[in-house]
Amino acid sequence: MNLKLKRICGASVRNTLLALYAVFALFPIFWMILITFKTDAEMYTTTFIFHPTLHNYEEVLLRTDYFWAFLDNIIVSSLAVVVSVLAGVPAAYALARYKFRGKEDLAFTILSFKFAPEILVILPLFMIYQKLGIFDTYFGLIWVYQLITMPLIIWVVRGYFEDVNIEIEQAAQLDGYPWYSVFLKILLPLIKPGLVAAALLSFIFAWNSFTFPLLLSGFKIETVTVASLKYIASDTVHYGQMAVAATVAVIPEVVLALLIQKHLVRGLSFGAVKG
Amino acid sequence: MAQLQLKNLYKQYRNKKSKQQNDFAVNDFSLTCNDGEFVGILGPSGCGKTTTLRMIAGLEEITKGEIFIGDTKVNDIHPKDRQIGLAFEDYALYPPLNVYDNIAFNLRAKKISEQKIHEQITQIAPLLKVDDLLDSRPVGLSGGQKQRVNIARAIIRKPKLLLLDEPLSHLDGKMRQVLRTEIKRLHKEINCTTIIVTHDQLEAMSLADKIAIMKDGKLQQFGTPLEVYDDPANEFVAGFIGEPPMNLMTVKISKNMDEFFFDFPKSEVKISVPQRYHSVIVDGMTVKLGVRPMDVLIGDKTSKGSRVHVAVFENLGEERKISVRVGDEFLTLTTAEEIRLKHGDIIRLQVKAEKTHLFDVETGQRIRATD
Repeated sequence: MNLKLKRICGASVRNTLLALYAVFALFPIFWMILITFKTDAEMYTTTFIFHPTLHNYEEVLLRTDYFWAFLDNIIVSSLAVVVSVLAGVPAAYALARYKFRGKEDLAFTILSFKFAPEILVILPLFMIYQKLGIFDTYFGLIWVYQLITMPLIIWVVRGYFEDVNIEIEQAAQLDGYPWYSVFLKILLPLIKPGLVAAALLSFIFAWNSFTFPLLLSGFKIETVTVASLKYIASDTVHYGQMAVAATVAVIPEVVLALLIQKHLVRGLSFGAVKG
Repeated sequence: MAQLQLKNLYKQYRNKKSKQQNDFAVNDFSLTCNDGEFVGILGPSGCGKTTTLRMIAGLEEITKGEIFIGDTKVNDIHPKDRQIGLAFEDYALYPPLNVYDNIAFNLRAKKISEQKIHEQITQIAPLLKVDDLLDSRPVGLSGGQKQRVNIARAIIRKPKLLLLDEPLSHLDGKMRQVLRTEIKRLHKEINCTTIIVTHDQLEAMSLADKIAIMKDGKLQQFGTPLEVYDDPANEFVAGFIGEPPMNLMTVKISKNMDEFFFDFPKSEVKISVPQRYHSVIVDGMTVKLGVRPMDVLIGDKTSKGSRVHVAVFENLGEERKISVRVGDEFLTLTTAEEIRLKHGDIIRLQVKAEKTHLFDVETGQRIRATD
């Protein structure tokens, strides 16, 4: 077999495998979308051939307050990410640039927030939240979401700051710019890929968070993850409606991921290898 | 343009773990650099030369001592107000900006109009041959091009003092030579007081009007290239300046029939001590004898020179480098003569007695002859 033929064969094998994997990975989403069009009666009796209906969509989007949960989720998750970026980027800078006592311990403590299962800390948090009067508030949820979003942003962005040569900052200092212009004009563009990737992942984690919103809110404020639970009734589970809720919930993540796909791959791989 | 004065400069890094008080990175360093002069600070890595430069720039705190630029004491003046230009070792160009914006960055901080900025850049860009690069990003540039931009950025602000931190150390050999010549030419053209920090003695010798040689934070000698070459203050300077380096050999002084000789231990090589040293030596004294490779000659067969065996012969084209074994040590000599030798050949050594230097074995200080 000559070389060219070999290369073509290799490429087609590779593509076939990738296509197979794509089918495997996307099948759950396909299945989820499929059952949004089924009635509860047809749920277990049909696979691909059934009488499609928009009943589930009507039920979920028009007759329940799912839309408000969706809005709440957007507010809580995006504000949580914004707060994490505003506080985490300077923290990451400090951890990358300055020497101070207990620096590594502090960095590790921040990372360790992600180690503990949420269920482990939820009880004390629940009581603290009741006492402080921030139970079931936007502020309360955004605050607790910092446990999810902050460590990731700090650790990824710290690696990026460490890769930036300190001479660049000194050059800017000599050039006579105040620190905030140096930060905005020079440093921010350099850490942007990492920051965007980390922020997106944080957003997804916050968006999908279940334990915290379930137990620290749920009356006035409800997220989509918690709202999906409502379709489990005492007599039956409305899988079709639940699937609609899940399908709608996936949309922002998919859109965001597609928009910044370019940054995502580059951003995370850079930080991981060099950090 | 201004004079630079360093007065008894000290730098000590705070180290909480070891409570040693004596580890000064820069130790009692004084230097005066006249208006328009090109001064090289030369020393091995870790000798405190870059620290000194960074103290001048204001990027490093001064532990003790004073720095004057012109008549102004700059100790407490912010780096941006010291009117200096610093070319960083690692170029430190701003990656998100193109070359034009990199050079303009400082001028924009001063709120200079875009038209004036454009004028100044078009004036300086050809000087550093970066006029074709103005639109490109730093990422795509070669090391030499980055360094040109780096220097352009340092001089666009019309500094009183230009500081170059190892500007050529990351470049390959050919580029290094080209840029060295260009830096020299640039200095002639803008005639700005310039300090260059380098570990390469050739760079310092060729560029600087005066060289300050540092070791362990201390100034060893400050003088013109010729002075430090011909008249080294101590053993360190003697060994650091010159390529190949000066031969430094431990010899014992012996007396034979009213004549003094340098006796090389474990060999029969003897060199007559020049008259001028007679007042500073005594019989049986051990000293370090320094002699540059080009001041050792190959005598012909009839000469009185000591017979030695050739250990290594290197033909370098324009000159030949010969290593001979003397006792346990090797002595290097270079000659422009067209000769061919091989390992084991016997040659006769003749040392130019007037070109020898003596150093104290213990302190390394020069033992000067009383003429």
